[in-house]
Amino acid sequence: MPIATTELKAKIIESLNLQDVTPELIQDDAPLFGAGLGLDSIDALELVVMLEKHFGIVIKDIEEGRPAFKSVRTLADFIDARRSH
Amino acid sequence: MADRSPVITGLGVISALGSGIDDIWSAMVAGQSGLKPLTLFQSTRYGQIPVGEITHDLAELGAPLHGSRSDKLAWLAARDAIRSANLDTRSAADRTGVLLGSSVGGTHDTERFLTTLIKHGKVLARPTRFHECSAPVDLVAESFGLFGPSFAISTACSSGAIAIATAAELIQSGQADVMLAGGADSLSHTTWAGFHSLLLVDMQGGCKPFDAARGGMSFGEGAAVLIIEAEEHARKRGATILARLTGWGASCDAHHVTAPHPEGAGALAAMQGALRRAQLAPTHIGYVNAHGTGTRDNDVAEAKALKSLFGANVPPFSSTKRFFGHTLAASGAIEAVVCIEALRRQQLPANPGFSEIDPAIGLSPLTKMRSEELTHVMSNSFGFGGNNAALIFSTADTVPQTRPTPSNHTSVTGLGIIAPEKHSVSERAIQPPLPPDSIKVRACAPFDAATLTPNQRRRLSRITQMAILAARRSHAADPSKRLAVAVGTGFGCLDEGAIFIENLITKDEAEPMPTRFPGSVHNAPAGQVAIDLGARGLNSAPTMGEISFESALWQAINQIAIGEADEALAGGVDELNKYALSIGKRWGFWNEQTIPGEAAVVANLSGASANKPSLARVTAVRLGRYRRPFDAKREADWIAAAVDLSKVNVMVSGAKGWSELDAPYNAVVEELSRHTGRALTHQTYKQDCGEFYSASAIGFSVAVELARQQQCSVLLYTLSLRGGKALCCIEP
Repeated sequence: MPIATTELKAKIIESLNLQDVTPELIQDDAPLFGAGLGLDSIDALELVVMLEKHFGIVIKDIEEGRPAFKSVRTLADFIDARRSH
Repeated sequence: MADRSPVITGLGVISALGSGIDDIWSAMVAGQSGLKPLTLFQSTRYGQIPVGEITHDLAELGAPLHGSRSDKLAWLAARDAIRSANLDTRSAADRTGVLLGSSVGGTHDTERFLTTLIKHGKVLARPTRFHECSAPVDLVAESFGLFGPSFAISTACSSGAIAIATAAELIQSGQADVMLAGGADSLSHTTWAGFHSLLLVDMQGGCKPFDAARGGMSFGEGAAVLIIEAEEHARKRGATILARLTGWGASCDAHHVTAPHPEGAGALAAMQGALRRAQLAPTHIGYVNAHGTGTRDNDVAEAKALKSLFGANVPPFSSTKRFFGHTLAASGAIEAVVCIEALRRQQLPANPGFSEIDPAIGLSPLTKMRSEELTHVMSNSFGFGGNNAALIFSTADTVPQTRPTPSNHTSVTGLGIIAPEKHSVSERAIQPPLPPDSIKVRACAPFDAATLTPNQRRRLSRITQMAILAARRSHAADPSKRLAVAVGTGFGCLDEGAIFIENLITKDEAEPMPTRFPGSVHNAPAGQVAIDLGARGLNSAPTMGEISFESALWQAINQIAIGEADEALAGGVDELNKYALSIGKRWGFWNEQTIPGEAAVVANLSGASANKPSLARVTAVRLGRYRRPFDAKREADWIAAAVDLSKVNVMVSGAKGWSELDAPYNAVVEELSRHTGRALTHQTYKQDCGEFYSASAIGFSVAVELARQQQCSVLLYTLSLRGGKALCCIEP
């Protein structure tokens, strides 16, 4: 079953301690890094931890995760693709 | 001033590649590596991959039995350095200090305490006795009987280089004739898991600096100590001069906690600063020992900085990290030794691990050791918090350039304070895994974090937030001013460190904490203050128990005095933490008089040209160590030599904290009163803010206020339980 983006947004908010941000405020296709939420390379590393903790997906090189971290949508697709292996 | 030029007369080094420079150089010539599978601790998640671990029995090498692993490494390097310099420490004792970089401190030993506590519920606190990053300095100074200015620098991976640069400044300013300067760090599970959480480690365990296929850093441990002397002192005693330290520069990216500035702007500024001080042009540099960690971002940023500085003529360069592993706070010191030896042997070390040029770098380091005529060489060190340092060493026969006489007029132009309310005492419940308890504390009231940015609120620990708010209160931002920052701390970010290690042990390396790790280093407050205020000058985090603040004050004022900054922030920060509370109680530290406290204090300092309203002037700062048994007469003489006592009406001291220090403080007030023929007022502050290592920052604010109100000179005098002392004279 594909992951619901709302569930994923909640996980992102929790793992990054995004205070004052609710899942509704994050658009599926909006960039996660840079301007939008103000995330940076340390947050990417927290997302790596979150992916392993909740989805059992291990990323050993941050370059591997970079395309997946573009938006909530790309991240959801990445999780689905990895889990269907 | 040429006679106060810093020269190197001795060196000691211990590393995975060997002990002593001769062994190390032979191994480098033979192309050996010190990296071999990790044995110091078990790593279930990352495996026993190769690291630069010292497998010798340290006690067999002569190290003292007491002390942390870092302490012992520091001691061994210091012993060898003193021997090689043929230095009679007794004759130079009062004018010889110790300045060591340390970022791990006793963490490896503290991990044993926490493992026993978390896994077996037993409180065996003994290993934490040497937890502080200042412990190596205390051990070396005490063991070799040195009483000059001494403190530790904890700016992560640039610590060793910043310590060497600061030692040179102490010598040039006339505060010391001889300095033992360098760095020491042992391996620890904490730094291991921390760098792994940042995905910065080469999982094959063989780092390849500047190579196209580089996969990260490899760990190491070790220590190196240089004997740095004023040239006149070295000549007088007939010492052999190995090399000169002619240039040093420090800067802060003020960009990001872990990522280097993408264009290497801070690295460039540090190298330019070192050239400026040495009055050399880039073309004079014959070799660069690069920081070259083998991580993707560092090597690209450093290469960009090298190309910006040297243009198309980048001198031969190499990273020697694969020989030793990345020894963190020791790396700048070990690489300084490599540079000095390169000058002496006229040989350039190779960059093992490199085979293929990276288009993003476009430079090729030295692939083989080679002989070449060398006069000036440069060594780079960069650390978390965008903390950069560059050193230039020159052959002994070069003529050092003179610098203009520094100004010594420094005004306090702002104070930012977050401190406990006067007389406020509350009960703090001790949380698991410690046994339940409740301890009386003087805690800061909750502060309003609304003005912090969302990223500062969600990511920074409380102590770092306090430092930022105190710094903002002290400082009216002016981007046209060059700003240096030195924030002293005794224990650093204890809460953040504790959460990281608890998680590491409880979850056995699973679910690492990449945000908390760089937030747990001692220079997190100083680095975040710099990012917040755009401060690109020196960024330092000195630590030395009760004189941590004065160590920062000396560094900050000196940056203004030597013309490297227009303004400087000097701070003191420490926080209440359940482990310090619980272990302190167990050891009988806390009682009705001695109540643990916390605060963040930042003073904004300006030079004569600042044209800002002044609260008071700082006319003297001196650091040193006192002799045991305590000799009040000797202390009074030390103070009288630095301060015009005829104008001093008040002494502000750290009495009413640790009760052992009350008698020494009282005796000094009596002695000074006798000296001046007037009864000095003895003002204390720990009854209000509680006892914590950087509490003298509160004392400083009290002294500034008294100098203003009473229009008299005020002496701030501070002692540490472990032998440090500091004075500061504040005038209206």
